[in-house]
Amino acid sequence: MHDVAKLIDEKLLDEAAHWLARMHASDFSASEQAALEQWCTQSAAHAQVWRCAQHIKHQLQEVPSTVGMAVLNRPASVTNRRHLLRNTALTLVAVPVLGWLTSQALPWQAWSADYRTAKGQRRTVVLADGSRITLNTASAISTSMRNDARLIDHYEGEILVETAHNAVYQHLPFIVQTRDGQMQALGTKFIVRQHEQGTTLSVLKGAVRAAPAHLEQSTTVHIRQQLRFTGHALGVATALDTHAGAWAQGVLYAENMRLEDFLRELGRYRNGVLHCTPEVAGLQVSGVYQLSDTDRILQLLEQTLPVRLQMRTRYWVSVVKA
Amino acid sequence: MPSPHNCDAGQSVGHIYTLHHGWLVAWLQRKLGNRDDAADIAQDTFTRLCASTRIQSIEQAKEPRAYLTIVAKRLMFNHLERRSLEQAYIASLQHLPEETTLSTEQRAILLETLVELDALLNALPAPVRTAFLMSQLDGMSYEAIAAQMQLSVRTVGRYMAQGFRQCLRVMMDA
Repeated sequence: MHDVAKLIDEKLLDEAAHWLARMHASDFSASEQAALEQWCTQSAAHAQVWRCAQHIKHQLQEVPSTVGMAVLNRPASVTNRRHLLRNTALTLVAVPVLGWLTSQALPWQAWSADYRTAKGQRRTVVLADGSRITLNTASAISTSMRNDARLIDHYEGEILVETAHNAVYQHLPFIVQTRDGQMQALGTKFIVRQHEQGTTLSVLKGAVRAAPAHLEQSTTVHIRQQLRFTGHALGVATALDTHAGAWAQGVLYAENMRLEDFLRELGRYRNGVLHCTPEVAGLQVSGVYQLSDTDRILQLLEQTLPVRLQMRTRYWVSVVKA
Repeated sequence: MPSPHNCDAGQSVGHIYTLHHGWLVAWLQRKLGNRDDAADIAQDTFTRLCASTRIQSIEQAKEPRAYLTIVAKRLMFNHLERRSLEQAYIASLQHLPEETTLSTEQRAILLETLVELDALLNALPAPVRTAFLMSQLDGMSYEAIAAQMQLSVRTVGRYMAQGFRQCLRVMMDA
């Protein structure tokens, strides 16, 4: 007898939950509304469950959104860490800081995604918290929204990060991780570029804390500063390269740049080999170039500098003395 | 130190109390790092014991320690949850728009409402809870939630049903 009552209850809860979810959907129809009203009056039990639901909804309405989000959606502090508490003192509940990610066990709730761009491609992704990440040419990241952090694993290339102010996720540190170390956003807008050796962090807004993977030290890079570091060396922050974020607008800036360096930069955006002979390597290049058409940029070089292009194929270009 | 004389099974509980109160407080204090909280929770544990119909079987059990530890642990986690909730609450009040000033009474009512809602929602997996709150507190559409959380609208709908079901379940069981 008891079991039968239980079974009905479960079915009732399923149905009530279904209706509650439906009634907030944008495509909830008038006929569904009618069916719901009929459902509520089917029995005293139906009516009672529905009253409960109304009570819950009423309580939710009493709570200011910012307060409710901060309190009810706070990261699980205790229950998740029960296993840790079993044998240890409570200090473990203290808020973790930069550098803990390596020691933290994998989260029980995490969702992640992978993004990649081909050479010459650029794309912007918006994360669950509203933060935007723009991937430059030939870049790869994976993102995970975890209970303890918003984590970007940056595998290669260059990314522009603009973190969002979102009450739900505000308490979670925003971290970009490269093979050289971790960077924690203290502000809103920065660029991370991985070189063959080392990582360059350029801060456009706010500040970012950088911690090399194999050092105990960390340093804060402030607005309009950049820092190149490796897993073993922190380096010193210098003034931000004025055009650091230009690529995000699809533009390559050159200001008295050596042709050799310019071609190396351009090479990031097109497939194949691109190089110049030593006698023209030191020529100076200045200008603003549209990255969407790298062939056109090479033609422009021919028009403005005493050089010509030797193209064995589209993928093998030498810039030589004219 | 208060002692639980005022319950039916007074004798038995008194006996258990004498034997076990000391180590329980010490154990809790080690976990919590605070003697007052430890004493409160130990007291609460014995009060629960009074209310428990299983008092006889506990007294006869070979290991009353195991039972006491389980009860005390549960109370301790409730205590810590409550504290983390209160901390989050106090911090969140600072983010309210300046024109919203709450009276002391309004604050207390709001806190109680939050405690009740927290009990309903706290067993939900984090993404389900986030989606649920985005809809119910922020009034976001399922489509907007789906876009922001990188989920399908269908999944958001499923999360919502799961959220409501959990709330109803806890309420009906209470």
